[in-house]
Amino acid sequence: MAWRKPLLPGWYLPKLIPDLKYKQMQYRNILLIILLILSVTGFSMKNNMRNQADTKRWVVSQNSSLSVSGSTNINKFSCVIPSYDQADTLTVNENNNAGTVILSGMIDLSINSFDCHNSGMTKQLQKTLNEKQFPMLHIRFLSLNNLPAMSSKPEPIKGLVDIEIAGVNKRFEINYLMSKDEENVIHLLGSRDLNFSDFKLIPPRKLGGMIQTKDLLTVEFQLKMKTI
Amino acid sequence: MKKTLITGLIAGCILFVLSYGGLFLGIRFFPGLFVAYDNPLFNSDGSRDVLFYMHAFIISFALSWFWDRFKSLFKGTFIVRGLEFGFVYSIIALLPVMWISFSSLDITIVMVSSWFLYGLAQAIIAGLVFAKINP
Repeated sequence: MAWRKPLLPGWYLPKLIPDLKYKQMQYRNILLIILLILSVTGFSMKNNMRNQADTKRWVVSQNSSLSVSGSTNINKFSCVIPSYDQADTLTVNENNNAGTVILSGMIDLSINSFDCHNSGMTKQLQKTLNEKQFPMLHIRFLSLNNLPAMSSKPEPIKGLVDIEIAGVNKRFEINYLMSKDEENVIHLLGSRDLNFSDFKLIPPRKLGGMIQTKDLLTVEFQLKMKTI
Repeated sequence: MKKTLITGLIAGCILFVLSYGGLFLGIRFFPGLFVAYDNPLFNSDGSRDVLFYMHAFIISFALSWFWDRFKSLFKGTFIVRGLEFGFVYSIIALLPVMWISFSSLDITIVMVSSWFLYGLAQAIIAGLVFAKINP
């Protein structure tokens, strides 16, 4: 049996002191990491709260309308969807680096709801827009170039939308007039000239081409919205 | 037969110019009468344009054959014979067709009346041509 040196009292102390120092360092690091996490999450929560403050939601009221007007070589026509029958919501986010206002939301309009004040012309428009295959027209809102301080005086602004007709989607810049009435209803009046051919549609022609619908169409929509 | 085809062709050319010229002028000066044509009832994709413009020749050949068969029944000067021919055709063929068209299709009385008058004018012009060149 090998001889072992007897352990003196306190023999472990020199070993323990570096261990304590190591533990202290470990605790300090953990503390630093916690502080770092707290500071980062604190900032992002602050940003989130600011984002929430900059995000508005506008609910589209049923009094909203859309009209499509155009002309033939013999007359002019105007077809309207007099009342929008869905309560869709647009989300407005002012907080982004590009300076524009992000607008998200979509309105879906039934082609069947168009009224051209003449049953034949109404049916013709529905046929031209290929209503049987594509019964809905979609307007997807993308952005506004700014969000004016809204008053009763209409302010001109511009914005991007995607319009989908007959299954073809096209992006357009829309000229808007934006205002707010005394009942806090936001009025967004948008208009844009576009062509049947933009959507791969053929404007109707009758009597061997003697009556021809022009390619140009003017789309106007008036959205009445309330902030929620 | 040859005479029938030749008179039909001549009448067809004359009717082509007068019918589509008249239609063009009608659309230009009385556009309100043609608004009702913006309706899916009427072909709108241009796929039947050739058939539409062939109509002057189709009616001319048909009337030429009819004239050749029954010209002996029409008496008097070429104007009277032409007018009578036009009225006979309109009463026998046009009126019943217009009647059934108006009763079954979503068309206006103005539209169907204009078709009747258009057909009557075509038949009278064709009758005058036939009475002149194939008496």
